[in-house]
Amino acid sequence: MHDRTVVVTGLGAVSSLGNDLASTWAGLVAGRSGIGPITLFDASGFRTKLAAEIRAMPDPGVSPRMLRRLSRTDVIGLTAAREALADSGLDLLREDPTRIAVVLGGGVSGLLDSEGYFRDLLEKGPRGARPTRVLNHPPDQTTDRIAEVWGFLGPRATITTACSSSSTSLGYASDLIRSGVADVVVTGGADTFARLTHGGFNALRACDSEPCRPFDRGRKGLTIGEASGILVFEEEGRARRRGATIRARFLGYGITSDAHHMTQPEPSGEACARTMRSCLKHSGLNPGDVDYVNAHGTATVQNDPAETLSIKLALGERAREICISSNKSMLGHCLCSAGAIEAVATVRTIETGIVPPTISYVEPDPDCDLDVVPNVAREADIRVALSNSFAFGGNSTVVAFGRA
Amino acid sequence: MREIREILVTGAASVSPLGRDLETAAARLAAGDSAIAEIPVSEGGERKGAAFAARIGAFTTEPEMPRAKARRLDRASQFAVVAVTRCLAEAGWTMAGNEEETGILLGTGSAGASPLVDFERQMSVESPDSASPFLFPYTVANAPASIAAIELRIKGPNVTITQKDPAGLNALFYGRLLVADARAKAIVVGAVDEWNLTYQLAYERLGVLRTPTKPGYVLSEGCSVILLEDGASARARGAHPWARLAGAASAGFQVSPQQRRARPEDVATTIRAALADAGLEPSRVGLVHSSANGVPWVDAAEDAALADVFGPALRVERVKLRVGENPCSGALQLALAARALREEPGLGAALVNVLGAGGNQIAVVLAAP
Repeated sequence: MHDRTVVVTGLGAVSSLGNDLASTWAGLVAGRSGIGPITLFDASGFRTKLAAEIRAMPDPGVSPRMLRRLSRTDVIGLTAAREALADSGLDLLREDPTRIAVVLGGGVSGLLDSEGYFRDLLEKGPRGARPTRVLNHPPDQTTDRIAEVWGFLGPRATITTACSSSSTSLGYASDLIRSGVADVVVTGGADTFARLTHGGFNALRACDSEPCRPFDRGRKGLTIGEASGILVFEEEGRARRRGATIRARFLGYGITSDAHHMTQPEPSGEACARTMRSCLKHSGLNPGDVDYVNAHGTATVQNDPAETLSIKLALGERAREICISSNKSMLGHCLCSAGAIEAVATVRTIETGIVPPTISYVEPDPDCDLDVVPNVAREADIRVALSNSFAFGGNSTVVAFGRA
Repeated sequence: MREIREILVTGAASVSPLGRDLETAAARLAAGDSAIAEIPVSEGGERKGAAFAARIGAFTTEPEMPRAKARRLDRASQFAVVAVTRCLAEAGWTMAGNEEETGILLGTGSAGASPLVDFERQMSVESPDSASPFLFPYTVANAPASIAAIELRIKGPNVTITQKDPAGLNALFYGRLLVADARAKAIVVGAVDEWNLTYQLAYERLGVLRTPTKPGYVLSEGCSVILLEDGASARARGAHPWARLAGAASAGFQVSPQQRRARPEDVATTIRAALADAGLEPSRVGLVHSSANGVPWVDAAEDAALADVFGPALRVERVKLRVGENPCSGALQLALAARALREEPGLGAALVNVLGAGGNQIAVVLAAP
């Protein structure tokens, strides 16, 4: 078994800012908000009536027959995968499909449809509820759909660790390549909006009734979003041999368990600092190597100061020399796909030297006193970037990307 | 990443419809018992024909966790806490001082189902604002692994995987890479599931479950786990290994996500890949835990593949026909295979093969340590 290195050769994105990579990235750089009124269901009974919805479903490029069977999550996952695969320049007719794996983060999947089944079951009984509406409920549906559409025959996995799902999927994907199990992995994640997730975060009083304001003193919680971010990971040697454009290197990841609380972050910051240190260790990095942190930055009262402490604990003095920012201020919290869409943004940040801002930032918070790139994007020389993902259940993952 | 040298199975535990512990499950299987029973009319109303499930029934977390504390947890998390606690005890693994050297990876197909349905009911029948904030955290599929991690202070990698029926074996597949990468010295791998009436009714109406007149699978629940340990570390602490993780292979077939379909040649290819990964000839395998779950065409494809790889005179256990289907059943087979190698080292090696909907297959080879 060889210690092989992993590079990113393809990117795809669908988000509330646009249905492809270019429009999503342009929106992030412009500091544009994807947050607006909820349209997917009647939100009148909820405290919060805002979300970062994808306004028009993209065309995933499948047959009408298959399209009828897809969930909203499948549609955006397939669309982003199609873009990423095209971007990679892989000639799939010449690739060995048994060496191509699919590893995604996911959770909500077809829940929006399933919720219709649950309501019909309550109101009309078993005979009045259409059972096919639950078929797309398993979180692994999009992973299987991508494998089915392109005929990939390698390993598949769907990571379901709430808000760190997609970042963990990147880690597993890299391990499959490093260990020699696969040569190419279609990875990242897809997750969409549903009444249950909105209701759940509202029940926890974790949502802001206004657009979320990460790291701002007046922040009151998150805004839920939906997105798919897909990355094509490839073993570096073969990517270079085929002349692929290498967008970035995947340097490594840290993965730990807080073992603290199902919904609350560990307040001292030490738990997530341990994840960041683990990422640095497994990526062969020192704190001084890090130029940017794409923060988890949910805008909840508890997360942002705890994450600020974590970054300080893990990076020491370097934390005050670099910028951090929260894509969630524009994309909302995309839950199981948050790590994926933020990884896509992190790769673009390294490529372009433009750091997306943290928007809706009004008043500094002394407990969140790092440079959060308020409101306006900034140019910076980014060689190495981390992306933080911390989840319900204390599932924490931090990934590291480096310049190609 | 370090070369994968030796990874040992040093413990196992199970909470299944066949019993609250692995020994009971093994004894009942040996006695020919089945956990599959008819669902009474009081649950889900009258049906055209009988419906079946493999359920655990009344369950207590004691002595592993006080009942008062367990009341706050969902059913799947209760299963996980008990199984993981027992597994670590079986392995003689001490958590104190090893928190960051211990990880947990669970597969699941249904964890969170009941809290999710209850939460939906509260939002619909009562009002969105009346839904319980205490219920919502258990609607996420990673709740059982995370609750077990919180209870036992597991601070290494913590992952939940869903990938149809082989999800428990998928946890093992990733877990061995994490051990090889020195991210933890010991990782609990397996799967957890809970049975839920709402999903049962949906699958009944989809016509995929077994009835008195139609073949099909039966839904199951429970949590089964094994402890994977870095070989050098396990031997240094004087652990008594049950088995060695010799090899594994994971593959997909090109079918739609809901379909249960497999070609014998594809199934055989994955099994051969697992044997090759283990460096073992088919003749070294003394026991196969088959994926057979009552779906005739898939079971037949697997039978043909096993005959092709191993020949006709093979000892094959078809546990899912008596304990039902879900990722937790594949994990139970892992635990049973490890136990068989502990009890009968002469078996040489045991293969666990799991096929799932959507063309997912993973085969794992355990060998005598």
